Amino acid sequence: MAPLQKRSLFALLLETLWALAIILVFISQGGATKYDTNASFRLIMDGMWVGGLILYWWLFSSFDRRPSQFDERDKKVIDRVSKVQWWAVILSLVAWVIGLSEHYHAQGQIPVIFLSLIFFSTLIASTLAQSVGILFGYWRMNRNA
Amino acid sequence: MPKIQNRIRRLRFDRDEMTQQELAEKVGCTRQTIIAVEQGKYVPSLELSFRIARAFKVPLEEVFQYE
Repeated sequence: MAPLQKRSLFALLLETLWALAIILVFISQGGATKYDTNASFRLIMDGMWVGGLILYWWLFSSFDRRPSQFDERDKKVIDRVSKVQWWAVILSLVAWVIGLSEHYHAQGQIPVIFLSLIFFSTLIASTLAQSVGILFGYWRMNRNA
Repeated sequence: MPKIQNRIRRLRFDRDEMTQQELAEKVGCTRQTIIAVEQGKYVPSLELSFRIARAFKVPLEEVFQYE
């Protein structure tokens, strides 16, 4: 397993745990309604988002890019990952648009709190997609040979 | 279907059983890439191909063949 592949597997595990923790805390603490009205709940959630993003940044920025750890094959995989991330972001936005439009159609307006939920969930989708995309890229490279 | 074959395994064997790690260090790539190239799972760039040939001190076509 290439060093970048190992790093991505580790990142995927941590990112999945991070996403699950956020979802569990969000649901157990009362969901969107409580998030809208309770400032301390918002602070906890914001801390979790930002903490996860710092972890994600550390995981990939601290990656050793010397030739013994990272070469043209890894670069080729990385170059293709943006396509997977693009799809993850688009699908996430489509799900939000359809879900919110259908749910709040009668009211004619969507609560402003969903702006930050959309933003952070899209970030999660993008970070997860990066790790999945890297792992998928190696798998496809080996399979297509 | 045309495919690029290589003789890296043979050439390593002929060079006192040079390890994949040693070759990777010589050409500046990861051991996993050498494994993938050897097994025909990855076609290296022209630059890496030349570096591999240079590591064995042979012409490029002695390492890679287009069939």
